[in-house]
Amino acid sequence: MAKNEKDSEDYIVELDKTTCPTREQRANGTNVYFGKASELLEDAKKGNLKCTERGFQQSGGCILNFYLSVRVSTIRDAAIIFNGPVGCSHAALSYKELYGHIPESLGKPTNYNLNWLTTNLGEDDVVFGAKEKLIEAIKEAEKRYNPKAIFILTTCVTGIIGEDIESAVNEIQPEINATIVPVHCEGVRSKIMQTGYDAFWHGVLKYLVKKPKKKQKDLVNIASMLSYAWQDRLEIQRLLGKLDLRVNFIPEFASVEDFEQLAEAAVTAPICPTYTDYLSRGLHQYFDVPFFMYPSPIGIINTDEWLREIAKYTGKEKEVEILIAEEHKKWVPKMKEIRNKFKDIEIERGGKKLDVLGSLGQGRLVTQLPFFDELGVKSTSAMAQDFDNILINELEDVIDKVGDFNVMVNTFQAAEQLHITEQTKPDMALTCPFQGGAWKREGTVSRLHSLRGDPRKWSTQAGYAGAIAYGNFLLQALQNESLQRLSKEHTGVSVKKWYLNQPDPLYFAEKGK
Amino acid sequence: MKKIKEIAIYGKGGIGKSTTTSNISAALSDAGYNVMQIGCDPKSDSTNTLTGGKSIPTVLESLRKGRGAVKVEDVIFDGFNGIHCIEAGGPEPGVGCAGRGIITAVEFLKQENVFEEYAPDIVLYDVLGDVVCGGFAMPIREGVADQVYTVSSADFMAIYAANNLFKGIKKYSVGGGALFSGIIANSITFSAQKDILNDFAQETESTIAGFVPRSLSVTQAELSGKTTIEANPDSEQAKVYKKLANDIYENKNEYVPSPLESEKLKKWAESWSDKLIELKKQEKGEFSI
Repeated sequence: MAKNEKDSEDYIVELDKTTCPTREQRANGTNVYFGKASELLEDAKKGNLKCTERGFQQSGGCILNFYLSVRVSTIRDAAIIFNGPVGCSHAALSYKELYGHIPESLGKPTNYNLNWLTTNLGEDDVVFGAKEKLIEAIKEAEKRYNPKAIFILTTCVTGIIGEDIESAVNEIQPEINATIVPVHCEGVRSKIMQTGYDAFWHGVLKYLVKKPKKKQKDLVNIASMLSYAWQDRLEIQRLLGKLDLRVNFIPEFASVEDFEQLAEAAVTAPICPTYTDYLSRGLHQYFDVPFFMYPSPIGIINTDEWLREIAKYTGKEKEVEILIAEEHKKWVPKMKEIRNKFKDIEIERGGKKLDVLGSLGQGRLVTQLPFFDELGVKSTSAMAQDFDNILINELEDVIDKVGDFNVMVNTFQAAEQLHITEQTKPDMALTCPFQGGAWKREGTVSRLHSLRGDPRKWSTQAGYAGAIAYGNFLLQALQNESLQRLSKEHTGVSVKKWYLNQPDPLYFAEKGK
Repeated sequence: MKKIKEIAIYGKGGIGKSTTTSNISAALSDAGYNVMQIGCDPKSDSTNTLTGGKSIPTVLESLRKGRGAVKVEDVIFDGFNGIHCIEAGGPEPGVGCAGRGIITAVEFLKQENVFEEYAPDIVLYDVLGDVVCGGFAMPIREGVADQVYTVSSADFMAIYAANNLFKGIKKYSVGGGALFSGIIANSITFSAQKDILNDFAQETESTIAGFVPRSLSVTQAELSGKTTIEANPDSEQAKVYKKLANDIYENKNEYVPSPLESEKLKKWAESWSDKLIELKKQEKGEFSI
């Protein structure tokens, strides 16, 4: 549990400021790294991590459009204004792709609309400033949608010309019923996408969270379901429901009221620690809501611990043991079955433990590796999209548990991912739908997580049901390699051979710059 | 089409850029040339002394009212002796991006083929202060001005700004940008000020285009909304401007200056501080001009 003292290093949320510090500033975040996990840990401790440019960059995004806009656009009874040129707002539409297939019978809110506006800034706005346009957009949002909150997402353009968003908000707020929440996610600010999320939480904490009228002892805040599937949400609700606890899921599909009551919760629990960090600390600093960062409910062992942590803050210590025992009766035999099957494949392939190349986010890096251990497979290499000081202790813990491994930090660089896959020749490579560079290879590739919107049970990853479903999912991927074989036979590799022959996958990273 | 001489005049704010530029324009026009002056400063007062002290509508204001509908006639105004006066314009202080404004305005003038239509012999860009960002460097980029001058007094901050301009010119010269043609030494009262600027020119391998003494007649003319050329055409000061204008028009000297690195500039300034103490002791001697 972090300290709640002004002078402490953990006191990082300062709501009198306009926005959060960047992850680069506050946590030495990096977007490029290759080495042993122990080296990464050492470098993080020494404060040696920093962002690096590449001589050759394949894809990229910004802190606004690396899913912040998708997340914010799912908030119910709210409107969202992109304060920038129209192009900056395009990603809001992705919600349709991500969530379109989730049936309402599974609990997707029925009263959900995307209330989306853009100030559509042009040349004149850049030259003369665009305060009036923003005010006009706010009024229009109120008139059209009558929302409870209006989120303003800033862009590079407003950042560069120094638009004074706060003064516009202060000026117009008295005339507007909705609470206006400016979010400073100017793309040029930071290369670490987590900065965008922190900026969002800053706005939420500063403008939306209300002083608690009463404490709700059965309410558990859980942020981030986006990188998990809809079934994860149901599994978490099921488990906490058995403890007579209610989940306050934010921000996906949350109502404005859900945000307002964040300070009344008994605890803030992580699904992705790095994502939840800023919100958890802010709620703790300003409203004394306790939180924990680790573990996340991935795998049976971590789910046990996660539930126990929540129980500690909700007075459910006795009940949780009963729940865990009950759940174990159902799920542990299934886990054994999965382990045995992996063992069979292992023996079939010559007796070496199956090697899974994990393509993970920073949060997954510290939660998934212990889970692989439970399955009886190992991960000699893992990839993460970024890494910063926030997870130092957790990474240390993971290295202690599963031993050292290779880490490559990169954000959606397909060639680098292909390189490490070719070099390490794992039995299976995991890849994210938006990230993958390793589809054409011998051996198996599986997805790290579904395209979020897959509402089927096999996509579950969290909790007990998730541990079993994902274990089976990986098993299934090992059964049939024909897709990989055929695609390798019929299509070429997208990079030149000399690059794959370089010893360092980060050949193009301009180190020392 | 005849070759148009396009020059950009830079300098620290308040150093007399617009006053000097307008007097050069007036003198050249007086000498029979077809002159165009473009103010590149959001204050939009570069051409005030050519238009009887009045402000003229700016390019950016006009564009804002409706692109497509704007014709060049809407943004070009006849000033003293038929000088074509243009103000780029820009945002109110504290908002928007003045640099982007300069880019937008200059691009508009180029796109509209203003120079072909008005066929000036010389175009003078009067540009704000330091080369603080890409926008204010627009006039010295490839395809705009050919020659750059800077107005500087002997004050250190003005020289500092000139040195920064040299850095900008050096940077853009690689890509075919404008070259430097001389320092216009302004507000000269003492001989030591001449020495300081001469020495700076020598250190930076640049040249002095002319010395303009400080003069009350300039202030007086300006207060009446006129250039010195218009208000006091036969004055000594008018002669100074006429000579300067002619020299600039005839000047073919174009080069890349050698800006001083900040540490070197500081040392150079300190050396002059010592010399001035020495000079002060000999007051009344050769000190005043």
